[in-house]
Amino acid sequence: MHDTIVYLLSNVPGLPPIVQTVHLLGIAVIMSSVVLLDLRILGFALPSQDVRELTRRVMPWVWCTLPIMLLSGLPFVIARPQRYFTNPIFGIKFALLLPAVALAAVLHLLTVRKPDYRGTKLLATISLLLWIGVVLAGRWIAYVDYLLPEE
Amino acid sequence: MVLEEFWTWLEMQPLAARIGESAWFPFLESIHVLSAVFVVGTVLMADLRLLGWYARRYPVTVITNEVVPWTWGAFVIAAVTGVGLLLPRASWYVANPAFLAKVVLLLLAGVNMLVLHFFALRTQRVRLQMTTGACSLLVWAGVLLAGRWIGHLS
Repeated sequence: MHDTIVYLLSNVPGLPPIVQTVHLLGIAVIMSSVVLLDLRILGFALPSQDVRELTRRVMPWVWCTLPIMLLSGLPFVIARPQRYFTNPIFGIKFALLLPAVALAAVLHLLTVRKPDYRGTKLLATISLLLWIGVVLAGRWIAYVDYLLPEE
Repeated sequence: MVLEEFWTWLEMQPLAARIGESAWFPFLESIHVLSAVFVVGTVLMADLRLLGWYARRYPVTVITNEVVPWTWGAFVIAAVTGVGLLLPRASWYVANPAFLAKVVLLLLAGVNMLVLHFFALRTQRVRLQMTTGACSLLVWAGVLLAGRWIGHLS
């Protein structure tokens, strides 16, 4: 598995940027869906679109895209596990990602089933910050040396 | 010739040196990626509506009017951070085929948007709206691909 992936990533012309672009397109779908839904819940965006209808429209895209994120991210982790598992920023990304995904599920259920719940705005704010953090941390994996220079 | 001198001149500006030699570069780049994915994601929503695959209960203009201002806001941030990233290595970027492809694709995206706003939406030509939506999807995916490819070319 490891050898095959390393072989493909190093020998198929353009494969790394293509797979990374699939990952980026997935981020685009998830980020814009969740961020616009959060902004809608907070009352900043999409005023004429009903929250419940918006949730039912955008959240399936998020759930369908998450497996694509895993598929397009995993090859790089398998190819160079030491680059990721010894990288604290990679840990931070997942420490933000897991609560972000859980919170997205909670918001999905709340906006559909309990539209009057009062804490939704607070949860939407946390969700917004978590997802921004996930994307920034993802990009900073490559820049760990700037953030945490070795002595 | 004059242009080449201009790119070198840009690189020698104090601001360029400050970005290139510090954590400013990765910081700007992460903001660039964050705003760029938001641009593409929101464009995607508008495109899907133009194609009639999404949010059909709302008229096309409701979706474009409510989504596109957010696209523009993110685009401005992406453009400003993009120029910041360009400064320290301007002559390297302008010689990079992926960067040039990205610029061409961004111009195409601009033309496509002009066609949408001034022809397709004003005249309510549904077929043309669908075509611009499909073109937009392809062109913006291409922008991401070309942008991601820049760093893979040495």
